[in-house]
Amino acid sequence: MSKTNSGEPVLKVRHLTTRFRTDRGVVTAVDDVSFDVYPGETVGIVGESGCGKTVTSKSIMRLLPEQVTIIDEKSEIMFEGENIARLSEKRMREVRGDRIAMIFQEPMTSLNPVFRIGWQLDEALRYHTKLGRKQRRERAIEMLKLVDIPNPEKRIDEYPHQLSGGMRQRVMIAMALCCEPDVLIADEPTTALDVTIQAQILSLMNSLKEKLQTAIMLITHDLGVVAQVCDRVVVMYAGRVIESGPVADIFRRPQHPYTQALLDSIPKQGNKERGLRLATIPGIVPSLWDLPHGCRFQDRCKFKEQRCVDGEPVLEDGPDGRPVRCHFPLDEARHPQHLAGRHAEGA
Amino acid sequence: MMLKRFLRSRGMRKLRRNRMAMVASAVIGLYALVALFALFGGVSLDDTKRRVWRENTPGFLQPMSKEIADYTLDWHADKWLRPKMEAARRASDERSRQFSFDTAALGQRTLADLPGDELIALWDEAAGIYDEWRELQDTADEANEELEFFRIDLDAERAKDAPDQDMIEELEGEIEYYEGQLEQAARAPELAADLRAKLLELHPVPTGVPGMVYRAKLWFGTDSKGASIIIKGLYATKIAFQIGFVTAVGAVLIGTLLGAAAGFFGRFVDEAVMWIVSTLSSIPYLVLLAVLVVMFRGSIFDNEARPALALVPLYAAFGMTFWVGTCRVIRGEVMKIKELEYVQAATAIGFARPYIVLRHVVPNTVHLMFINFSLLFIAAIKGEVILSFLGLGVKGQPSWGIMIAHSKDQVSSGFFWEILTATALMFGLVLAFNILSDALQDAFDPKHVS
Ligand SMILES: Nc1ncnc2c1ncn2[C@@H]1O[C@H](COP(=O)(O)OP(=O)(O)OP(=O)(O)O)[C@@H](O)[C@H]1O
Ligand SMILES: [Mg+2]
Repeated sequence: MSKTNSGEPVLKVRHLTTRFRTDRGVVTAVDDVSFDVYPGETVGIVGESGCGKTVTSKSIMRLLPEQVTIIDEKSEIMFEGENIARLSEKRMREVRGDRIAMIFQEPMTSLNPVFRIGWQLDEALRYHTKLGRKQRRERAIEMLKLVDIPNPEKRIDEYPHQLSGGMRQRVMIAMALCCEPDVLIADEPTTALDVTIQAQILSLMNSLKEKLQTAIMLITHDLGVVAQVCDRVVVMYAGRVIESGPVADIFRRPQHPYTQALLDSIPKQGNKERGLRLATIPGIVPSLWDLPHGCRFQDRCKFKEQRCVDGEPVLEDGPDGRPVRCHFPLDEARHPQHLAGRHAEGA
Repeated sequence: MMLKRFLRSRGMRKLRRNRMAMVASAVIGLYALVALFALFGGVSLDDTKRRVWRENTPGFLQPMSKEIADYTLDWHADKWLRPKMEAARRASDERSRQFSFDTAALGQRTLADLPGDELIALWDEAAGIYDEWRELQDTADEANEELEFFRIDLDAERAKDAPDQDMIEELEGEIEYYEGQLEQAARAPELAADLRAKLLELHPVPTGVPGMVYRAKLWFGTDSKGASIIIKGLYATKIAFQIGFVTAVGAVLIGTLLGAAAGFFGRFVDEAVMWIVSTLSSIPYLVLLAVLVVMFRGSIFDNEARPALALVPLYAAFGMTFWVGTCRVIRGEVMKIKELEYVQAATAIGFARPYIVLRHVVPNTVHLMFINFSLLFIAAIKGEVILSFLGLGVKGQPSWGIMIAHSKDQVSSGFFWEILTATALMFGLVLAFNILSDALQDAFDPKHVS
């Protein structure tokens, strides 16, 4: 792991393995995932659809349907010195919302349509704090102000359907932050919003992080978003972490062919003029039901060799000194033209 | 607050644009007013039993024939007033005399506010006219009969080959005599009018509001005990609302709670609830109701003297069976809602699951509760009518079912006012509720939302 941050991580995930019981048997959606979240930093979890980002975050919050979910014994989610994967439901309820909060992808359905937003904010405060009625209302208005909702005194008495999507996501953020959690998990908070609103929400999250010193775990499939707000990134593929490290390093020197392919698929200014087409990653994510033997990315990898089929690589420090799960991690020698371009851009 | 939000919702706005639904709501409101009026003493149980006129008086649509008018007059003077007035005459003291006078009251219509002696004098005059009228009627009846025979005989005699002249003359004499009698009897309608006037003097129809009330009670005629049918119908409206409301509220609450629990918690809770649901719904519900009602027989709930308690078996039977449908619907809706992000968000805030069901999930099913309420309301009313008709339902007080059961014999003799009133009242309410619940479904069912 990179040691860009000093001090203890606030959230330490080790060997998180989540399986689901389904009609077709047990399937492993998240496989041996480990990462740290340090106080006050933003960690991005990136990957294609279906790679297990949501399952990872819901495993931390324990929001997955109990009946069908198996969290493997060896999984450790260390938070404030406790393994919250083993916490009783009662203790867990004290952690949720108060110490770790979560916001969801779909702002349209994340607020209960039958209650005023003030009531919904108040409810969370009532549950987790000992504030009086008036104080709670003041706090709720203050929170709405903090997330840049104009006219909060009036908005607080409105129903979710009277607010736009961006407004609702702001309210969700206000709700998540009103108890000043240590960690905020944001599962694709901007995916459902249009680009300008997206930018506003992201800069809001950035400024709030600085104000409140909340660590953010930002889940996204958009590397553009990662570049804007994250300090570190964890790249996931088919339920596994394949690479992680500081944003700058990942963008400058991706070690895993998948990370590189993801970077190539970001639209970049100037590419069109230069006659370059937007790169796509060929093939599809393998189904969790029939994962290939060996490396999970082998079928889509440009650099596939026999060793990739024979055995799965382990997560170990690559040439750049950051963990990567690849037998043949990229280095300058193997991929000069790409890196040259990127260096030029970075410069 | 939940309700206010519901009333402001898009579905509600859609509902308000539906004119039929608004008319239906107005009709239901009217019924509800009547029911409330009856509930707060406007129409008491005693009122439904009190005689207001003679038995089986037809209502406003049926024209009074001369026969019916005469019969009614005869009833009023002879059957109704005579015993009371004679009892008053025989009474030994002032109090028992006054009591006899009081018994002559027909609803709002009491004896004239005169001293007792004057009342009796008036009665004597009326009785005199009555006797004369009666005699004339008898004479006329006899004359008509005799005339018929003599005319036949006369015709037969004349048709003979050799008619007996003496015989013919004799017959003609008889005919002349009876025709004379008949002429005298032609005065009968005059006397009847006199009698009517006298009786009106003695037993006046009150003026003002009491008079209106008195006449209103006769609009839809009277039943086989002379009680007002419309009063019974109005009282029965209260009973219908009572049964509909209590059972619908009970069933919707049970159904919602069990359905929400089943849908939200799943697993064994779901299995247990759905087991009960499918068991109950595999039994034809009327049979189950009948069994339940029979089970209560002989208990304190089976006592004509305590009609309020006698409704308990009905409440229990309907409540036990009706929640099943609501439970199914709510369960399905809750299974859908629990996957929505706001439920996950509530969990992420840290709320306990029972709290989330009650505070976040159930409020989102209010529209279904309303639709189900209106469906169960009519189901209960219809169920009451069927059970009461079978003698298993309401006891000791009128209900629409009881009224229909009563009119079984009347209908065969051409008197249809009681059954008409009961069915018309029921029809109006059931139709209004059907239209409303259709409109509710249109307005709130996501499949219909446009
Ligand atoms: N309850 C469940 N039962 C069975 N499989 C599940 C369940 N929930 C998720 N999965 C599977 O786990 C895998 C990971 O899903 P997840 O929702 O974490 O993806 P994601 O990375 O969040 O994708 P997206 O970007 O589309 O949100 C998917 O293949 C999904 O089918
Ligand atoms: Mg997801």
